[in-house]
Amino acid sequence: MTQPTAQIVMRNRAAVAEELRRLLPKMEGVRAARPIPFGLAAIDRHLPQGGLACGALHEIVPEAGATPAAFGFLVALLVRLSGTNPLFLVLPAYGLRDYGRPYGHGLRALGLDPSRLILVETAHRKDTLWAMEEALRSRAPAAVAGIIDQLDLKTSQRLHLAAADCGLPLFLLRPAPSLPSPACGGGWEGGSATATRWRVGPAPAARDRFGLITRARWRLSLERCRNGRTGEWMVEYDHVAHRFSLAAALADPAVSRRAGEEPFRRAG
Amino acid sequence: MLAVTGSGGPRIAALNEAAEAAGLILGEPLADARAKAGEVQTRAIDSAADDAALRRLALWATRYTPTASPWCEENGADGFFLDIEGAAHLFGGEERLLADLSLRLEKNFGLPARLAIADTPGMAWALAHFARAYASFLPRPAEEGDHAQHGGGGKYESSEQAMPPPPRFARSPSPASLRYVGADKHVILPPGQEAQALAPLPVEALRLSPDTCRTLRRLGFKTIGALLDKPRAPFAARFPAELLRRIDQALGRIEEPLIPIVAPPVYHTLRYLLEPLLTQEAIVALASRLMQTLAQVLTRDDVGARGLRLSLYNVDGAVETIDIALTLPSRNVAHLMRLIDLKLEKLAAAEDAGFGFEAVGLAVTRAERIAARQDELIADDDAERTESCAQLVDKLRQRLGPHGVRGFAPVASHLPERAEMLQPVAAETAAAWPEREQKSRPLLLLPRAEPTEVMALIPDGPPRRFRWRGVTYEVTGAQGPERIAAEWWRQSNGHHSPGPTRDYYLVEDSGGHRFWLYREGLYERETTAARWFVHGLFA
Repeated sequence: MTQPTAQIVMRNRAAVAEELRRLLPKMEGVRAARPIPFGLAAIDRHLPQGGLACGALHEIVPEAGATPAAFGFLVALLVRLSGTNPLFLVLPAYGLRDYGRPYGHGLRALGLDPSRLILVETAHRKDTLWAMEEALRSRAPAAVAGIIDQLDLKTSQRLHLAAADCGLPLFLLRPAPSLPSPACGGGWEGGSATATRWRVGPAPAARDRFGLITRARWRLSLERCRNGRTGEWMVEYDHVAHRFSLAAALADPAVSRRAGEEPFRRAG
Repeated sequence: MLAVTGSGGPRIAALNEAAEAAGLILGEPLADARAKAGEVQTRAIDSAADDAALRRLALWATRYTPTASPWCEENGADGFFLDIEGAAHLFGGEERLLADLSLRLEKNFGLPARLAIADTPGMAWALAHFARAYASFLPRPAEEGDHAQHGGGGKYESSEQAMPPPPRFARSPSPASLRYVGADKHVILPPGQEAQALAPLPVEALRLSPDTCRTLRRLGFKTIGALLDKPRAPFAARFPAELLRRIDQALGRIEEPLIPIVAPPVYHTLRYLLEPLLTQEAIVALASRLMQTLAQVLTRDDVGARGLRLSLYNVDGAVETIDIALTLPSRNVAHLMRLIDLKLEKLAAAEDAGFGFEAVGLAVTRAERIAARQDELIADDDAERTESCAQLVDKLRQRLGPHGVRGFAPVASHLPERAEMLQPVAAETAAAWPEREQKSRPLLLLPRAEPTEVMALIPDGPPRRFRWRGVTYEVTGAQGPERIAAEWWRQSNGHHSPGPTRDYYLVEDSGGHRFWLYREGLYERETTAARWFVHGLFA
């Protein structure tokens, strides 16, 4: 009898794990009915409920020097939130300073209607956190995005709870050069209540056959994913259709072209 | 005691009652005064401090009526007008108002004021200044009974600085002659009697320039009555327009607009307190009661507040005003109180309640129509969202300041750095962005284009390698140029030339970072050594 029991236990374990995976989000009080799907099965498979949970905190961390790419990814996520409700971006004074400031025409180029975005500029950290929480609690915006350099466990829990209570997603971009990368010591683990953490790196853009840039590309790595699995992808973002797709590495004419060949068109 | 100023030697700018009694005259050279009166104490006049004090006093007086207008130079700058039309009954009539004002001026500020109430500001001014001196010429009251409008003026000086007298005017019905109040110091003129009251007063009572007064006196016109009898045409021809204008203003033939010290509110309520308020909670609690009163009126008129002003009248006479602007008109008491609370919290550190606040006023400075709808049963999800969004913006703005919450607005300009601006979010700014353009624009724009060293194969070609912030980037692809010429039509002021043309390139380096570079100046036409800049970053 021992062997069948073991088999049953094994089978049960898989079923129980599956069941738990289904129940856990509910037990954690994530209320949002509809998650935000990437529309990309490869990624959605890794996320619980098949998309980014609505009432949750999501972190976006740039690789060194990739803040613009990370911000682009953040904007792309915001674009995927349909509707006309405003989006709040909380921008502290240090914000993206080294990398300039969000540019309306550029947001538009990525497919985000700039008049939908409300910029909240704060002078200190206290105000930044307060503004994010107020924005969430009012339930007025479709999503809240913020930029913050330091985030401890307690603060992140608080923000996560605020997001969960109101069923709104909170995206935090953390341009934190001073923070240790996971490779050198795992200072991240347990440091945050975030539901997902995305690390974004730059990648050569997709080009058409004339060598013109058509779609931005990013290296995405899902480093943490509560109730889901981590993963790495190379995605490209279509700003016209507002869609992500997986980049086919060798389909890029610019990359496959031999070195030394003039890869771009010269105009004017 | 004399306040003294200098012009052709020191002259008397203000004097107290004892000096007046000694026969000294305003404007007299100080030397003459010394000869006449012997010992005089003098101080240099500090008109800036006087102006500030007058302003404070006028602000303080807004407790009686929202329209307080400090006198400007031509009125003597030593008093103010209060428009008490419709406000006098709140204080139990004009006489009581006058008594209350006089008492508080004396008690709070130590100012012996001269006050007068008349139908026109000009009349009130004349009475405040000359009613006492010419009391014997003016009609005495026949019987008890009525009053009219008034202006008041007081004149005076306190230990340090000369302070000013106020007139006010208001109106009330009924006939009778001048009434004297409070030991003959203050007067009330019933309506319709301007001409009689004005007649015995000297021409100076018309607020004319000294030159005009001198000419009139030389011609034998000593009283205003003498002027009133004469035909107007010769006066119009020989005197500056101010003469007839002042007469007409005093008689109410033409309007004299008053410039209120603060914009008069649309709706206003004020409460006096027996015990001064000291704590923020108490202020908010009282403000919320005031708001409830206002909300009823707002609901009746189908409007909501877009601007609110909370005035805190300190026991020591200072007035603290708090202005609040709203994104959408609202009459939601809870929401408005949260805003006031936030604002007070922000002020709390800087503000000292001192002895406390003896009166609190709440005014709606800007009202706008709001669509009628039920407050309780909200079916309209969109409207609710819009409103909660407006409330959120208001709240954030109270703490972060008016520039803390902004939205993007497009600007019609070719220059990338001018092509948009950040504007405070408001309901009416529905920014119309141009059609989606095919031109590439960076996601992040540097506040100032940063110079960069670029290696290009040919002087007017795309960059092959560039160095920016200490890092060298190998360009694997460059797209462009997009030529953007400077806005030559802007060259008017200051700069002699509109600046060179720019050629923009979107470049990508081997690591996948994308930059927006431009070369300044057309090669061989505008410059021989083109300079390069990094202007923005793409996602």
